[in-house]
Amino acid sequence: MGIVTAMPELSGATSADPSDYLQQVMAEIDAEVARRRASGDLPAGLERELDELFLEFSPVGAQGQTRLRESLSLVDGSAYVDIAVPVESNKRAGRLVKRTVRSLTRFYVDFVVHQIVRFAWAVSRLAHQLVDRLEELESEVAALRPPPVPAAAVPVADDGGAWWAPTAVEALGPATGRVLHAECGAGSLVAAMLAAGIDAYGVDPSEPAVETAAAAGLDVRAEGAADHLDVVPTEGLAGIVMPASLQWCDPTERARLVALAASRLAVGGILVLHSSTPAGWVRRAPTLLADLAPGRPLHAETWAHLLAEHGLAVTSTRTGGGSAGLDRMDGALPGAASVNAAIDLVEQALLGPDEYLVVATRER
Amino acid sequence: MKLVFVTPRYGPSVVGGAETAARMLAERMAARPGWQVEVLTSCAQDHLTWENVEPAGRSDLAGVSVRRFPTASRRMREYFALDGQLRVAPGAATMAQSREWVARNGPLCPDLVDAVAATDADVVACYPYLFATTVDAVAASPVPVVMHPAAHDEMALYLRSFRRTFRDVDGFVYHTRAERRLVQRVFGVGNRPQIELGLGVDPPSGTGRSGSELLGLGGRPYLCYLGRVDSHKGCTMLAEYFIRYKDRHPGDLALAFVGPLSGPAVDHPDIVSTGMVSEADKWDILAGATAMVSSSAYESFSLVVLEAWTAGVPVVVNAACEATMEHCRRSGGGLWFDSFRTFEAVVERLAGTPDLAAALAAAGRAYTERFYAWPALIERYASYLDQVVARGPRARLWTDRLPVITSGTPYVRED
Repeated sequence: MGIVTAMPELSGATSADPSDYLQQVMAEIDAEVARRRASGDLPAGLERELDELFLEFSPVGAQGQTRLRESLSLVDGSAYVDIAVPVESNKRAGRLVKRTVRSLTRFYVDFVVHQIVRFAWAVSRLAHQLVDRLEELESEVAALRPPPVPAAAVPVADDGGAWWAPTAVEALGPATGRVLHAECGAGSLVAAMLAAGIDAYGVDPSEPAVETAAAAGLDVRAEGAADHLDVVPTEGLAGIVMPASLQWCDPTERARLVALAASRLAVGGILVLHSSTPAGWVRRAPTLLADLAPGRPLHAETWAHLLAEHGLAVTSTRTGGGSAGLDRMDGALPGAASVNAAIDLVEQALLGPDEYLVVATRER
Repeated sequence: MKLVFVTPRYGPSVVGGAETAARMLAERMAARPGWQVEVLTSCAQDHLTWENVEPAGRSDLAGVSVRRFPTASRRMREYFALDGQLRVAPGAATMAQSREWVARNGPLCPDLVDAVAATDADVVACYPYLFATTVDAVAASPVPVVMHPAAHDEMALYLRSFRRTFRDVDGFVYHTRAERRLVQRVFGVGNRPQIELGLGVDPPSGTGRSGSELLGLGGRPYLCYLGRVDSHKGCTMLAEYFIRYKDRHPGDLALAFVGPLSGPAVDHPDIVSTGMVSEADKWDILAGATAMVSSSAYESFSLVVLEAWTAGVPVVVNAACEATMEHCRRSGGGLWFDSFRTFEAVVERLAGTPDLAAALAAAGRAYTERFYAWPALIERYASYLDQVVARGPRARLWTDRLPVITSGTPYVRED
């Protein structure tokens, strides 16, 4: 063994990803471990004993699914009760007494132990069935899950300078409590909200973006939107700026995120949702994202319908973000004004704006 | 800005990760212009007995004003019985049982709690979550409270009385992302102001002596464990794994346990135990190690991992410890084991591939310098505390002060 020895570009913020490098080294080590396990160079009993030693000093929660089978083997190993009580003693009389007691109580111990062992085996059998079923379910669920969109395909948000940012800040102005910007990127909208006196914070799955924001003193954490909303108390937020990925994520995930967000908003809380229009998505979405995203943006009217199901009433909808951008005639040319006006009408009627912003309030 | 730290024990002679971390932060914040720092603590030095050994009253320690208050009671034997009873299913314990556990875990310092209630500070920082001083300070403080939980996945975290305490905290300061994830998962406090801070590392203070010679190993290479040598820190497992490793890979490699011993030293020709050593000895021993092994699964930060990288040494960590795993994964500075088999393969690889060891150590050092340099860290902490204070007064509280329980049979250390 021993292929990877040195990591390229060890220092600096833009160095090779250390996790990739480590994964390579640990994969080689795991392969070596698998090879040795298969060779049987350690007696099975000893290997199990050494593995149990590791589990003995590990927190249960940290052992995770990969340890489930090993924990199960601990149960199996403990399911047998030995009735041959040791009778060794430093004193000769002691050994005699112990042996006599063991003989005299054997029928009683036998009876009790038989029942304990039956119970332990029944529990062990049940645990095996549960683990089998759990693994089956996990594998079924994993097969149903859409493939993740590569991180490189998703542009990191920098919404502070977006056309809709001032509207969002104004809409969230009355919020009396914490306001979350889910997928906040480097935190420019969080900073804009803080500057407007809003108690804002953010989360984003991009670690480099979050590091930049955190270094600037913002309360921004490296977390996905759904993972974060999971650990926020019910009605714990006064406002939420929904994540950009909401517009293109898997419909099941979208429904889950909306339900989570609605439950985390206090009554009277404000939800801000920015999205491409369906047509705008086709025109402007980055190619990789457009092709690989499991979902597609909805119309603003559809959002009004979905949000109403969760007790949220849309209070305003604005459009913006440019449009298809049909070329206009040079204004100096004769008749340009009327032609350009016609182009504007065509654009408005057929193509429309590329993006919209929905603001909703939780009513119940 | 006036900052008050509340911690169960305080001082350079106190051995304990959280208490050491509190002292490191307090000393550096006190040196910051415009900041006034005070520490409120007990007169105890031993967290197992809470015996009052330090004089009560004010003192000055390394520029920090310290006020000590006597504990109302030593730890009682009844604590251990209750702990054993609740350990199996802590989440099922009643509120009364949970509060009794916290009170009996101590230290109960009624005068300290009164001092918190009367404080003229702008913000109170409690460190760590586990002790009665923190629970009472959160309940009594008239000014915003930030908590440094120093939490790891243990039984006490699931006691329901802590749910109220965490709910009443105005901000959290975590050592690592792993700690933040754990606390958020257990207490659902994701919407609270919080920061991942960690701790800075002091520059090595070794004197260039050979670690192997200091250990009496006569130039042999060695792995090094640094910290309290205790079964709960994975030391029994580490010793057993190392002995098995040597059975299968005879050679020069030795193992050094460097730190105070909680039990008898391991008797093996390839294992040495030093007991407590000076800072200079520690750094010299560390600098000469083939790798530093952090065998503990229960760490919330593990300063020694960062110290190893600072000394140019790679680390091997327990894969069940989220905090040290996070350091390794983010930095690329260490490998991990989750069985004897992986321990064997990792040690074999590190011992036989100096280039790999050097590459890991360099990556770890770069990570430490980038995220755990004291000046930037203190700047972020100060800015965070400013923000917590600026958010205004505390919300309605859910916690009450703990009952002062003094009944029972005093626990006396047997060693």
